[in-house]
Amino acid sequence: MTAPLLALCGVDYTYPGGVMALHGLDLTVAKGRKLAILGANGSGKTTLLLHLNGTLQPTRGEILLSGQPVRYDRRFLTDWRRRVGLVMQEPEDQLFAATVGQDVSFGPLNLGLTIGEARERVAEALTALQINELADRATHTLSFGQKKRAAIAGILAMRPELLALDEPTAGLDAHGVAHLLDALQQLHAAGATLVFATHDVELAYAWADQVAIFHEGVVLRQGETAAVLADIEVMSRARLRPPLLLELAQLLREECGDEVWRPPRSREVLLAQLRERLQDDGNERCCG
Amino acid sequence: MQAIDHHAWTNHWRDRHPLEKLLPALSLLVLTLALPPLKIGPLALAGATLATVCGAGIPLKTALSVLAAPAAFLLAGVPFLAISLRFNDGFSLHFSPEGLQLALETSVRALAAVSCLSFLTLTTPLADWTPLLRRVGIPAGIVELILLVYRLIFVFAERALTGRQAQTARLGYSRLDRSVRSLGLLTGSLFQRSLEQARRLEIGLAARGYSGDLRVLQPEHVLSWPWLLWAMTLVGLVGLAGYWI
Repeated sequence: MTAPLLALCGVDYTYPGGVMALHGLDLTVAKGRKLAILGANGSGKTTLLLHLNGTLQPTRGEILLSGQPVRYDRRFLTDWRRRVGLVMQEPEDQLFAATVGQDVSFGPLNLGLTIGEARERVAEALTALQINELADRATHTLSFGQKKRAAIAGILAMRPELLALDEPTAGLDAHGVAHLLDALQQLHAAGATLVFATHDVELAYAWADQVAIFHEGVVLRQGETAAVLADIEVMSRARLRPPLLLELAQLLREECGDEVWRPPRSREVLLAQLRERLQDDGNERCCG
Repeated sequence: MQAIDHHAWTNHWRDRHPLEKLLPALSLLVLTLALPPLKIGPLALAGATLATVCGAGIPLKTALSVLAAPAAFLLAGVPFLAISLRFNDGFSLHFSPEGLQLALETSVRALAAVSCLSFLTLTTPLADWTPLLRRVGIPAGIVELILLVYRLIFVFAERALTGRQAQTARLGYSRLDRSVRSLGLLTGSLFQRSLEQARRLEIGLAARGYSGDLRVLQPEHVLSWPWLLWAMTLVGLVGLAGYWI
């Protein structure tokens, strides 16, 4: 078995003030997966993400990158951050250059690429997020959603193997979320591993193929999305509520005594299943 | 400031090489300083404003409002040039013809010079100047700092605006003493937040391999020699006209 892309084993982290943010945390990020780290607001998800690219160093425990223990010297960190891209929740914390194109070029130039190569990377990243037309726009004139995509493009231009996003959909409207998820889906299809930290159970359910429930500095359970989210005990301990779609599907299964109800992953699928169901039943009234 | 910035990014001449704008504007500026102000001044003022409005497509109103602030300063300061103080018997204030002439010349010259500079600021965003700044030998660190400050001005301006709005919503500016207090609190919180912002920005930049310098792609503009030549010829004609009239 090949080593996971990134693994955190028994990680503790105590803030300089003495606040313990992580204790004995285990997390595995397998290559090519979409992993959602689910936790309530203020549970320390951001602290956890900052460990994924070496911004914070654990006070105890081990982090393995492709099976290798990480080091915190400049050489290793440079390589680490090339492989693991971290998109912060606030785009304002990342965007510093005057235009979007310039901002996106920052990472590639730090990788030591030539001007020509950097230019290509910028075009590629902007295309991936469908924001080519913003290349020469002044950063401060963008809308929040555009800033968010520009910030992601800045990370993407470094072609990371793993893209970690902190609350990627926070502050976006439904259209913005759909647009962003679409772009992320394409990245995933192209082979990127995605990790996102969120408190949005519905998003995790619709989107992730693996979920890690994070609460008070530890991962309570990590595993396949549907199985973990259906674990009522773990979910309530983490102060999370199972997704509506899952609850609804369970209810329907109980009411109908139907074995074949597969929990739908999106509202479109649920609606289609219901419609099919109602047509099949005709006047028989099954789920009334 | 927002209006200037907006037009700098969107005017017709935004994509012209900055030198194509800088050289003619500076030449016109030199002419207004060197030639008799009452002749060249109005011509230069008209020329620069014409280029701003007709050439770069900036609304006349904006162009004039940019000139309004320095004009107000002139209006406040220049009258004193026309007045002279005499201590012959008692002391008295006099308008002297020479003083009046001096005041007029100074205002015309200053306004014309300012119009050349406002042409530049209205047609060229700050980001476009960086390659030139580097070429004339300004250290990379300083140029990066200029750009970073430029970017952060907008971040903090927005914070300040929303902060003020939030305070206003809770009647923070309903009386003079409250206003003073609210403004103080707002300023204090902005300092604190800018420090926090700086720390988070550093984390964000480190995630992209920041190691001390903020290198980004420079804007690429192709210098059009014919265009530059035309512009310089026009400036030369203005100069000649100002000299011969």
